Amino acid sequence: MTCEQVREELVACWACVDELTFEVVEHLEQCDACRREAVLLRHTRVMLHSSMPPLSAPVNMAERVMSRIDEQAHSAGWLPRAREWFVPRRQPSWARAAAVGTALALAVAGGALWRSQRPDQSAPPSPPAVVADAGIDGSAARTATLDGELDELMLQHQRLEMTQPLADDAGVSLVVYTSR
Amino acid sequence: MERARQGDKRAFGQLVDEYKDKIYNYVARMLGDPYEAEDVTQEAFLRAYRSLPRFRGASSFHTWLYRIASNLAIDVMRRRKRGEPTFSLDEPLEGEDGEFEREIPDETFGPEEASTTRETRIAVRRAIMDLPEKLRDVMVLYELQGETYEDIANILDVPLGTVKSRLFNARNRLKEVLEELVEAGEIEVGQ
Ligand SMILES: [Zn+2]
Repeated sequence: MTCEQVREELVACWACVDELTFEVVEHLEQCDACRREAVLLRHTRVMLHSSMPPLSAPVNMAERVMSRIDEQAHSAGWLPRAREWFVPRRQPSWARAAAVGTALALAVAGGALWRSQRPDQSAPPSPPAVVADAGIDGSAARTATLDGELDELMLQHQRLEMTQPLADDAGVSLVVYTSR
Repeated sequence: MERARQGDKRAFGQLVDEYKDKIYNYVARMLGDPYEAEDVTQEAFLRAYRSLPRFRGASSFHTWLYRIASNLAIDVMRRRKRGEPTFSLDEPLEGEDGEFEREIPDETFGPEEASTTRETRIAVRRAIMDLPEKLRDVMVLYELQGETYEDIANILDVPLGTVKSRLFNARNRLKEVLEELVEAGEIEVGQ
């Protein structure tokens, strides 16, 4: 088997040990260059996976999609199915979640600012972990991210307020905007 | 699925819930930007909803949804290349830390991460982003999303052989990038 043939087989399976044919394994035992190639390929795969680990979709993704469907139904001018008018919304309104989330995030950001200005004071009651982290960390990058997130929250919130009155139902998940 | 097709919104909501992680991950990996991925994923579902009555079930719902998302993601990438504004985000797409870095706390990374430095991850992400979109699409779908050759051929509407050859080329390219990093002394690869 030539080095070229061996390398083709290596790429075809990322040099997976258990998928290599006997001929390839035999070649690898004698050929340093191809063995190095196999190691590289295996590492490439590991790095690919660790560089792009799975993420979770934002927790309110489905609600946002559904509310955009509603928005478009109304703005497009076609009447949504009549029964929808009579079905009570069981889901917590995400408009409300946005409002509470925004308020919470602003409060936490305020708390972090307050803390950073008065380093000698004992810390105020601990806010939810993720946002608190962003504040306490204190690095410029995290602060910028937090600012960006807050701006985006505000925008989302305003956009919603224009289209949807805040509902009264409870059960809002506060992690909505603090989880990313 | 059938109820959603007949316009039952709650049934469609369940479909969104079922597929949101899959599609969101796919788009985020294609675009290299979780924020933008959020918008694109929503848009994909919206389009899916609108064209649901035309969905005949000849392909499975999941490959069809992927197809919509793939078209949208590629559209965003092309507009990026032309310097046109994409969906709604005015945030920089790429920070010094690399695209995913600001989103993912370190504890998110799995055990494999221990052997990979942050610099390497960023370099590998860049390399993935630098792959031509057709190669990246196949790479993401097969390696990271775990789709089969057959489903990918369906999603991208290309022959099976094309899927395999694109995957081959994508692996080779990534390996070459890693090789360059090793040669530049930026990372070490044990035997
Ligand atoms: Zn050889």
